[in-house]
Amino acid sequence: MDDLLADFLAETREMLEALGGELVAWEDDPGDRARLDAIFRFFHTVKGNCGFFEFPRLEALSHAAEDALADVRANRRQADSTLVSAVLAILDRIGDMADAIEEGTEFPAGGDEGLIAALEPEADVSALLQSSLVSGDDGQHKLPSSQRSIRLPVELLDRVMSGVSDMVLARNELARRLRESSVEASVGEPFERLSAIIADVRDAMTRTRMQRIESLFGGMPRLVRDLSAELGKQTMIDVDGGEVELDREMIEIIRNPLTHIIRNAIDHGIETPAARLAAGKRDMGLLSITARQSGNQILIDIVDDGRGIDDTRLVEKAVAAGIIGAAHATRLSPRERTALIFEPGISTAETVTAISGRGVGMDVVRANIERIGGTIEVESIPGTGTRFSLRVPLTLTIIPALTVSIAGQRFAIPRSSIEEIARVDAGTLEMSRVGGAMLAKIRERRLPCLALADLLRMDSGVADEERTLIVLRLTGGELFALAVDRVHDHEELVVKPVAPAIIAAGIYAGTTLTDDGNPILLLEATGLARAGGLQFDALERSMRQAGTPEAAKAARTTPVLLFIGRDGRRKAMPMAVVARIEEVGPGAVETDGDRMRVVIGDRILPLAGTDEVPLPDEELRLFRLHDGRTEIGYAIHEALGIRQIKAEFVAADHSGDIAGVVLIDGEPTSVIAPYKLFARHAARTSGEASPVCHLPADDPWIQNFVRPMVEAAGYRIINDGDGEADLAIMTQPEDGVAISARKVIRLRSEPADLQDEPDSIYRYDHAGLLSALNLSRGRQSL
Amino acid sequence: MNDLLLIVVAAGEKVALRSCDVQSVIELEMLAPVPCAPSHVAGLSALRSRVLTVIDCQSALALGQAINREAGAPAVVVDHEGHAYALLLDGIESVTKARSDPGPVRTRMGGNWAAMSHGMVETDEGPLLLVDVAALIAGPQEVRAA
Repeated sequence: MDDLLADFLAETREMLEALGGELVAWEDDPGDRARLDAIFRFFHTVKGNCGFFEFPRLEALSHAAEDALADVRANRRQADSTLVSAVLAILDRIGDMADAIEEGTEFPAGGDEGLIAALEPEADVSALLQSSLVSGDDGQHKLPSSQRSIRLPVELLDRVMSGVSDMVLARNELARRLRESSVEASVGEPFERLSAIIADVRDAMTRTRMQRIESLFGGMPRLVRDLSAELGKQTMIDVDGGEVELDREMIEIIRNPLTHIIRNAIDHGIETPAARLAAGKRDMGLLSITARQSGNQILIDIVDDGRGIDDTRLVEKAVAAGIIGAAHATRLSPRERTALIFEPGISTAETVTAISGRGVGMDVVRANIERIGGTIEVESIPGTGTRFSLRVPLTLTIIPALTVSIAGQRFAIPRSSIEEIARVDAGTLEMSRVGGAMLAKIRERRLPCLALADLLRMDSGVADEERTLIVLRLTGGELFALAVDRVHDHEELVVKPVAPAIIAAGIYAGTTLTDDGNPILLLEATGLARAGGLQFDALERSMRQAGTPEAAKAARTTPVLLFIGRDGRRKAMPMAVVARIEEVGPGAVETDGDRMRVVIGDRILPLAGTDEVPLPDEELRLFRLHDGRTEIGYAIHEALGIRQIKAEFVAADHSGDIAGVVLIDGEPTSVIAPYKLFARHAARTSGEASPVCHLPADDPWIQNFVRPMVEAAGYRIINDGDGEADLAIMTQPEDGVAISARKVIRLRSEPADLQDEPDSIYRYDHAGLLSALNLSRGRQSL
Repeated sequence: MNDLLLIVVAAGEKVALRSCDVQSVIELEMLAPVPCAPSHVAGLSALRSRVLTVIDCQSALALGQAINREAGAPAVVVDHEGHAYALLLDGIESVTKARSDPGPVRTRMGGNWAAMSHGMVETDEGPLLLVDVAALIAGPQEVRAA
């Protein structure tokens, strides 16, 4: 909060400074509309920011001044010198109050009423101001506030950042030349040092400018809650994409517009619970905010499922305000009609509230976004909801990307839009062609598939079945597969904007140079989908998703504990099996042949995760894993925190304790398979007969995916007709087959728990399957 | 008047560029094609860790394609609206002085020359067309309209 407050004060002071000249000019010519607007925006911003902090006096002052100026803007009142004096007095008071807040001193009470009264038409301004200002008049010897941070112009940071990027590229080129020429070895060492320094500087510079958008999103739930409470509405907020990193300055610039859009959405969009129920919706409104990086742009969507924008009224108001002619109004497209909301002086609200609705804001919002080269669009379906889409550029950035190639030419794809990578010949997916269009079936999901070679009109010479598929995720969450010839490296690329002529192609987001000095193009997922003719109805789809947010979320992700293993690698352990994290002394571990055990309290547990790395002499950190019956210890180097991962990931094909690999925080991370761990390390009670499990032999998915887990859980596998089984696992819906088993686990392909499939488990619900397996094994041994 | 001009050969014809527009004269180190780009964009190249967008002048003029559209081809580097471009040429000749301001050419010219030149300047080497770099980069009209 301190940071926010400091930002607020700095912003207020900067705006006051910037307004300094305007004020004098406005005093000369009170009718000047542009200056009036600038001053008006200042009050509006201050008022808006005060909503965050508890500054009732500031809020009252700026609200009053805003009201008075709004009257002038609406031609209900003429600006005259008395109004100017009153407004100036309020500006001064705001500046003094900001100083007092910064110094942490109490601003002398009183006097505000007089300032506010002075704004009234026909007020005796000079007398009122005299009486109001007396109290605050001893502040002449103000101390300059101490500086704990400095504010730099962003152009300067840009220049440094751009210089650093060029330095990296120049270093890369130098490295290449050094490799090619046989330079003396003595050059190598200083060059390595130089490289390290450049990498350091680059990291520091990047950090200087980048910030997770979380810092902006973090305050939203509170804002939504407070606003909803104030307005007697119920709103649930769903925030996604907080990990997207954005230029610090950009975050500051979009903070106000975003806040404003959210205020509007709750005030005007979301209906009261009664009205929602009457309209056949849930009583609780949903507001979802998502951020996503697409090439060198950040996309932020704010979607509400409220009443939508009444574009007929918008058009009426626009005509009445003289923004468009009546004849022109009839020719507007629906999109253009909705876009009128961004025109100055338009508001569809019937009443003016303290929260929004004075017909300002959306024009200010658009001005702010466009000032930084961004765009804002609005889509609205009356009765269904509204979506605001912000696109904010990252003019110069380093982004993680995957390089792929077609016919030997390399392209880069931003890793942020990559969902997974699958090889066509790996057998986990099948390709089909329907009416000339390609479809890929990856683990029960049928996705539209585009061949990059076709999109780029290149001859790849690689057969369909030898290609690699990259599943890309679009802003709206839609997936499609892209077939490429080869996948190369994950690289951090310095992306620069491309020339307009190349942008016009619609599929590129930027260019970059590889280490060997070759220019490569960064592809943009949305552009590729568009070029390939894929059609997704973004708005409709997000509404559908919004219908069952909790259900979708619960099924989609699995909580894992991210940690660094003893071997120094990033790994993740499903949370379901982690009982707790322990630290033991160096004497607690004992080696018995090739098995290790750890003493925790009065228990001796098998120890896994040592990975052939010698144990440390000091404390050893470990997870205590519990499968419901037995416990084992798992040695780690460091726990990093809890993350949510998609249940589906790239399955590992080798043995070991790894179930597969996922991207967590943009880095490939191995997910531990508890099944395998427990199978290998858990002390099996001797004399226990292996339970028997029946699996359908003709189901490749079960055989490939489920069988290893079931075996790891200690079951013996039998096929049809091999006699009585303790457990049978089958996929839905194969109810006709008679299976002689004491217990049957049904796997369903849909995450949602439908009414007609009781007791079934979603097929990628690892934790659910694990506990079902253990449960029936426990029952069998009883 | 008295501007320094760089005499180059584009689309088989001797023409002039304002030398203040030209940052450097290079031979392309490499040329990576840009699929789906307008035809006058020959591809991307790099110069001292900067990415250059390579413009095929002959193609921009709608007079076919440059003879030498590959690595090693002569080009001049220009900056336009913050982006670096390499104009792919047939050859680069010499530097001379303009003896007049550009004046209109009173005859019909081939291709897009009329739209992509500032007019004719007198030099010691005879009259030369002064190339409009921005128009070349923007490319043929139909491309821009598309």
